[in-house]
Amino acid sequence: MAESLKDKVAIIGIGCTKFGELHDKSLSELMAEAAFAAYEDAGIEPERVEAAWLGTFSPGFGGGKASVTLADALRLYGKPITRVENYCATGTDAFRNACLAVAAGVYEVVLVVGAEKLRDRPVRGLQREGTHPYLEAGATPPGLFALAANRYFHRFGGDRRTLAKVAVKNHHNGALNPKAHFRMEVSEEQVLAAPLVAYPFGLYDCCPTTDGAAAVVICRADRARQFREDPIYVKGIGLAVETGWPFFDPTFEYIGFPATVAAAAEAYRMAGIRNPVREISVAEVHDCFTWTEISNYEDLGFCKKGEGRYFIEEGRSALAGDLPVNPSGGLKSFGHPIGASGVRMLTEIVLQLRGQAGARQVKNAELGLVHNLGGPGSVACVVVLGR
Amino acid sequence: MIGITGHAVYLPRHRIGREKIAAAHGGKPVLEGERTAIGFDEDALTLALEAVQGLGLSACGGIYFASTTAPYLERMNAALLAAACDLPEEIAVADFAHSLRAGTVALMAALDRVAVGEQELIVVVSADTREASPESPEEQWFGDGAAALAVGREHVVAEAKARASVSDDFLDFVRRDKDERVTSFASRFTMEGYCRIVRRAIARVLEESGLQPSEVTRVILPPMDPRLTVRAAAELGFRAEQVQETFLERVGMIGCATPLFLLSAALERAQPGDRILLVGYGNGADAVLFEVTPLIEDYVVRDPIAEQLRRGLRFPSYERFRKAREYFRHHDEGPVLSNVFYEKEEVRAIRLRGTECGECGLRQFPPTRICQRCQSKTSLREVSLGRRGEVFTYTVDWLTPSPMPPTVLAVVDVEGGGRLYLQMTDVEPSEVRIGMRVRLTLRRLGAGGGLYHYYWKCRPEGRSDGGEPQG
Repeated sequence: MAESLKDKVAIIGIGCTKFGELHDKSLSELMAEAAFAAYEDAGIEPERVEAAWLGTFSPGFGGGKASVTLADALRLYGKPITRVENYCATGTDAFRNACLAVAAGVYEVVLVVGAEKLRDRPVRGLQREGTHPYLEAGATPPGLFALAANRYFHRFGGDRRTLAKVAVKNHHNGALNPKAHFRMEVSEEQVLAAPLVAYPFGLYDCCPTTDGAAAVVICRADRARQFREDPIYVKGIGLAVETGWPFFDPTFEYIGFPATVAAAAEAYRMAGIRNPVREISVAEVHDCFTWTEISNYEDLGFCKKGEGRYFIEEGRSALAGDLPVNPSGGLKSFGHPIGASGVRMLTEIVLQLRGQAGARQVKNAELGLVHNLGGPGSVACVVVLGR
Repeated sequence: MIGITGHAVYLPRHRIGREKIAAAHGGKPVLEGERTAIGFDEDALTLALEAVQGLGLSACGGIYFASTTAPYLERMNAALLAAACDLPEEIAVADFAHSLRAGTVALMAALDRVAVGEQELIVVVSADTREASPESPEEQWFGDGAAALAVGREHVVAEAKARASVSDDFLDFVRRDKDERVTSFASRFTMEGYCRIVRRAIARVLEESGLQPSEVTRVILPPMDPRLTVRAAAELGFRAEQVQETFLERVGMIGCATPLFLLSAALERAQPGDRILLVGYGNGADAVLFEVTPLIEDYVVRDPIAEQLRRGLRFPSYERFRKAREYFRHHDEGPVLSNVFYEKEEVRAIRLRGTECGECGLRQFPPTRICQRCQSKTSLREVSLGRRGEVFTYTVDWLTPSPMPPTVLAVVDVEGGGRLYLQMTDVEPSEVRIGMRVRLTLRRLGAGGGLYHYYWKCRPEGRSDGGEPQG
């Protein structure tokens, strides 16, 4: 049996910029702001960092796709830096790789930065890169997830009204969060009346294109208390990669994502979790579209396949529910700068576990979960954190 | 016996009422009814392929493609058609062009080739999407469409009994190398020339077969000017009831595809023993006399003209009709591809090959080295995928950049196995359902780097098209 990462790595510092349409900020400014906030939170000087991992989907102009983007932003030179890109699981996968290095004992203190500047890009929505000129022509992120939503409804029932409940919940949570992209409540009627983007998704079923950066400082678990009294420990991490072209797979059922199921199984194995809905106190899951959150409930084992709609309809994922999901506002309301999101979700769970989440604080948070899902459901990463 | 062994037409699904065209220019329609019109993703080549697929053949010895509006001026359009049909290399391909007579010229050439025994079966396909100047009568007269014939020796439904051609450098419609639009010389004088030239070709055929005009069951006179067609027939010695209906009020003049289209229409209603006199006209004339055989009674037309006419989608405005025609004139910003990439890509994206696993039977697209289900590496073989299927799931996407949003995208399970991800075209988004039957149709996806990028889309299968009734 493979080894577990449980309690080998701790998060000792977090930093996160305001998320939103940050038209006057550059990618490097955002990375610096998040990284220095994390240094301060950890109580360390930049020199203490021995290695860094950068998660970005698209670094933009200058630096190309290499890790110099982070080195120059932080003036962090002469140290190992690696850029990670794994669709929308970029942030959590950067974190995962950093954890592996620390757990291996190669480094003691490591920085992880996730950052994205989507608003600097010239097109609406998320511009996909490296796609095939014919075979996936016309595919958009909402369109790819809508394929699954429509099949799911065909199989299990539910409709746009079910989806609207997710948007209403996450907007409610986001309104409580000073750093969220959107700080406004929306009503079910507003969600249903919004223009369609990719049926069944209307505008409020889709996460926005957002600018932002987040950072965490991690260290060897056995050194964590040298830095702070309340380190948060990594209990388990799983990453799973399925096909990038599920639409060509005749065996793909289009009712959920096996990548999430596999990543969760690995993370739960490491963390020793047998009954996630009872053991996990709070979760940040990948709600790129409202339906994705419903599928995530099922794929993460919070409920059975086909029953995710009841999980939202019965309020179980609300702030006051038995497993609050996306207390931050989620990608839906906090915003979704691709590479930043996973790291930002980690910072939210750290705040929740430390009891520092303010108006959106979940009661008695002991164990928290972070979940990213990238591509058309192709790449999933699950992280379990605990006190 | 040599003659027609199969026939099919394809009319693009879009229509525009002539009153809409006329109203856009502040005038009155020059002709009743509506015309057929291409969508933004169609051209003469895509129409032609639909007509060829309508023949339902599993093999043929060649493809002759006739068009005055072929998308490529240097590149054998017929070779691209042959690739899209996933035909082997050892076939005869040829493009015929530059005249409204190109369709019948191609037919003559196919009859010759079969007669000398070089090939058993040649597909002749003609298609046109001619452009006329805005505000001209031709803008309303013209339509878009395609027609295909199978020419061979076995299962002949209409035997070619006699034929003749004449050449005449007469001016009626012309287009120079630098012109996008047809220059028309339509007038009463043009009709006089038409009658004079056609009469010579017809006379030679009737003389050769010892027949009088009255002994012809059906004469097919491709219309040159809708105002004068009936008069032309009378001048040529035919009674009105002998003349093949021209569909001008529902289709329009579809260029060099008109003669083959009208022949297919005539064959849809033909009886054994009927004599059909086909005329092709343009800088001269071709005439072919066919005699319908008893096999016509067993011949099943997959998608009859009446059914295709019933399925029209109306452009909501003149502007949409024009945008569809002109989109790719102004948009050439698509990906620039290398021929190294294209060479490999054509096998999957145009020939539509997939892989079948000999271990577990799973068909996969695009072709793979390792079976997705059972991981077998040793028993995979390349197969040609089915061209019909069923929608497994779909979305209607408003975010996809398109000249005419929204874009319907569908995951389609194809007949015989394999799953494709395709844009759906020629569809009202509200028609789309999980489980609906579709046919694959090659369309223009984009343009760039000197190429039109063709790839498969899907379209709803018509009732007579082999599927269930639609909406």
